[in-house]
Amino acid sequence: MIDVNNKVNSFFIFNSTFGPREGEELKRILFFHPNQVSVDAQKMQVGLCEAVVKFMTTFSNEPCEALQTQSKRYIFYQPEKNFWMVLVVRIPYAAKTPSTPGESKEVIETSVIYNLLVSAYKMFRMFVGPFKDIPPEDIYTKCEQFFTPYIMSRNIANDLSNIIQGINYLPLEKNSFFRVVCFIDLLEITYPDFKCVSFVYNEQLIWNGLATNDMLTLYQYLVQTLLPKQVEKEIQGGAVTAAVRHGRFISPPEGIRTSEDLKNLPKVYLMREDDTEMKQYYLIIYRTLSATVCFTIDVNNTLDLDTFKSLDAFIGPKLSTIASSISEQCALHALQNAQISSSEHKFLYFNRLNLACKTSTPASLTPSTAVKPEVLSIIAGIHADRKSLGNYGEIIIKTPDEYWITGKSSNDREFYVIIQEKNANLKDIADEVKRVCEEQMKGIFFYPI
Amino acid sequence: MASTSKDGVPDGDKVAGNLGDDLEPGACSDSILNPEDTFEEFASELTPNLQERNILTAKSSTISEIQSEIGECSQLHGTKSSDNLQSKDESISASTSSSNLLEQNGDEADDKDDYLRSPELVNKEKHVFILSSAGKPIYSRYGNEDKLAGLCGVIQALVSVVEEQNQDILRSISTKDCKVVFLMKGPLILVAVSKSNESETQLVMQLTYAFNQIVSVLTLTQLNRIFEQRRNYDLRRLLSGAERLIDHLLIFMEKDPAFLLGAVRCLPLPEKSRENITNAITSTCNKIRDLVFAILIAGNQLITLVRMKKYTLHPSDIHLLFNLVRSSESFKTAESWTPICLPKFDATGFLHGHVSYISEDCQACLLLLTVQRDAFFPLSQAKHTIADKLRRSNCLVAINDALNRNKELPTTNPLKHIGIPEIRHFMYKCKSTAQLFTSDPICLDKLQDYRLRHKEGGDITEKKITKLSDIEHVRKYRKFCSQIHCTSTPAKLIFRSNSDDTILAWITNGFELYVTFDALMEKDQAIRAIDRLLHWIKREEERIFIMNAPTF
Repeated sequence: MIDVNNKVNSFFIFNSTFGPREGEELKRILFFHPNQVSVDAQKMQVGLCEAVVKFMTTFSNEPCEALQTQSKRYIFYQPEKNFWMVLVVRIPYAAKTPSTPGESKEVIETSVIYNLLVSAYKMFRMFVGPFKDIPPEDIYTKCEQFFTPYIMSRNIANDLSNIIQGINYLPLEKNSFFRVVCFIDLLEITYPDFKCVSFVYNEQLIWNGLATNDMLTLYQYLVQTLLPKQVEKEIQGGAVTAAVRHGRFISPPEGIRTSEDLKNLPKVYLMREDDTEMKQYYLIIYRTLSATVCFTIDVNNTLDLDTFKSLDAFIGPKLSTIASSISEQCALHALQNAQISSSEHKFLYFNRLNLACKTSTPASLTPSTAVKPEVLSIIAGIHADRKSLGNYGEIIIKTPDEYWITGKSSNDREFYVIIQEKNANLKDIADEVKRVCEEQMKGIFFYPI
Repeated sequence: MASTSKDGVPDGDKVAGNLGDDLEPGACSDSILNPEDTFEEFASELTPNLQERNILTAKSSTISEIQSEIGECSQLHGTKSSDNLQSKDESISASTSSSNLLEQNGDEADDKDDYLRSPELVNKEKHVFILSSAGKPIYSRYGNEDKLAGLCGVIQALVSVVEEQNQDILRSISTKDCKVVFLMKGPLILVAVSKSNESETQLVMQLTYAFNQIVSVLTLTQLNRIFEQRRNYDLRRLLSGAERLIDHLLIFMEKDPAFLLGAVRCLPLPEKSRENITNAITSTCNKIRDLVFAILIAGNQLITLVRMKKYTLHPSDIHLLFNLVRSSESFKTAESWTPICLPKFDATGFLHGHVSYISEDCQACLLLLTVQRDAFFPLSQAKHTIADKLRRSNCLVAINDALNRNKELPTTNPLKHIGIPEIRHFMYKCKSTAQLFTSDPICLDKLQDYRLRHKEGGDITEKKITKLSDIEHVRKYRKFCSQIHCTSTPAKLIFRSNSDDTILAWITNGFELYVTFDALMEKDQAIRAIDRLLHWIKREEERIFIMNAPTF
């Protein structure tokens, strides 16, 4: 949906209070991407946004969200007072549906771009800290160091999972889950300074110890940034297979062998489950086979290499056993799943409370796994307009090209099904959705049925 | 005339499937209205070239075409309509840099904010501001536009900064609860600030109507000429009286789904009565050669329209006529002779209209529109003849019955007559004739109520509505309507069900249908209900719609 290289015109962060006087406009610009844009052009863009933000305060107490011109859409996000992040996307106003099929359509939901900004900020806050706590003289370089690689690495494909940002949980049978919990408990009792904040297998979450908001950010960091790199490394370096078996610290990237390495431990701002406010912690990430475990330790603790060595010895074998048993279970599960005829329709399930998200398996035999952007756009629209379905409700939308999109809501749960079917009527579609729902979401109740 | 046979009726299962296009109640090959899709048009409204943006070139003048056909062109130098409007309107050259834009915004913030926060202006659901491209206030829906000079300056500055520095056109700005939509048309800037659930396209449509209302008073030719001569002209001097028209139009648009659907409501009448009325008009007027349109309306509904061959009226022009008649008390007391410009028909010139109510005891208003400047007396004569004929053939009674919603008419309470209790409300548009029918044919009192209520405020209220009035139903349809007509991701069918109600919106080649059912409605039940509803409309189509397109 968003091709960052072609569609994003610019991305910038400004704070008007940083250079209040005339002639100091450049100081207001904390970050500007792409940086080859001339200083004058930067000032002009930011100046326009400042004016628009101010103009809207006349009519609304809510912060400005979007500016649409003939050729571009500006999406605004104010994460902290006076700090504005703006993403400018090339979307022509009222783009007409091209008549020739196959032509790519430029459909981007504002909510999707807005979510991108929110994720960017949260990631920044987790690894660098809130804007207001950064000394003004450092903020320019900190933003540059963080946001340039961040924005360049974003790539949003036409996939269901990009509309709704959720977490993929791994369902486990109770004994295996119990084993994971026991392992975490034992570890926290043995090493009281350490707290386990997440347990991820492959890209699926099994256990979380963070407040919901931070959990998503950490999960996205693991799944989108850290783990793909790690997996690549593991595939390339055949020599490290032994280490893969036994487990090692993967953050900092060089592992922890000397006390020098301890200085490279990343610091993060987090709220753990029982925290009342955001605190700074060291983030330690350990990986064995496909299992990845994250720990935090308060920054006020003095780090000691011996603790880490003993931690390594403690976790390594235990985690390896657990990981193998989970792997067996996953294999079994996959086998069972293969027997249930995988639905030919695409679906998406989302629970707002725990952010659990499940989509139809992309590896199904359908020729094209990509979903049309218009369809995604409609789903994004339903998701963004929560009010219209209320606590329980249903919407069925038929597009001119015979796609039927069904959205159901039940308290904080949402379920979407995409069916492409000619000559169907409302009732046929409703019956089909009911079937998919029963098959895939056993035990979750949606009303109207 | 479309046949009433039921050959093409689909069986119940097909309804809301992709078949069903064959049942098109009200469809008619010959339409008095120009059914050109308004939504398409507003979408294209939204995509002009930057260069073309300030140049409103009108098509060749229809009025002068008619005049030359009649061959009396020479007598009519007086009408300005044949003036050739060229793209003279030079682009605006206000130079505002972004830095002084912010200052301007800031400096005036204090006094501007003070006034905008005054009880006259604060908490309104929808503001509409009209200003000249030089930033001079022309119209404000609420408050006194004189005190809004600061705000208008800021709007003008924003518009010109986007235009000059970014080579772009400002379209809209939004927050979570508020949309500001900009429309630059010729020498004017129109702005809507809305906290309602109307979509951007719907707001652009309303601004376009407001612009057309101004054109209707001045003609585009005159409007352009004024600002060519003096960029700083205070247009309010020429628009006195038009403010009221715009006020009324804005309320009318919020209330009547006719605008939402780009269609015209017809007064439901027995086929025979409508035929008699039409005959009375044609037989009286076929000798008057300059007469372009004869239109009989009542309570914002069309009774009949007789036209000169080749020419049709666009629904939006008819809406402006409805608005004119509804807003002008003076028509009730005396026959009037007034210049009227119909922007879709010919934005460059005036038609001359003889406007009068048909009689003291009938609220129907007859408009006779001609290209002849001095035809008052022949038209006055014609009107009296028509009125006599209508009275003699009992048509006035039929009109009054329909207006007063006589209980015996099937169209007075259609839902009761159809007998589908699960339907709470519906609206139906026949696309080929651009006509509309809803389950609550508006009665005059209701509109008056809304108007009175609106005068008191237009404020946003959070009051819990116990029984939905038609206005609230229309509000609910807005989102469905905009999704159905969305340019990037259109829908053909939407079925939405929640704990409040169930709404179905359906568009086919022939019609658009919006129905509100009880909450959590079953799909098959809804399908059956819609099937019955369509058959009922088909059965009553001769009464509900104008099924022919008479000419003089």
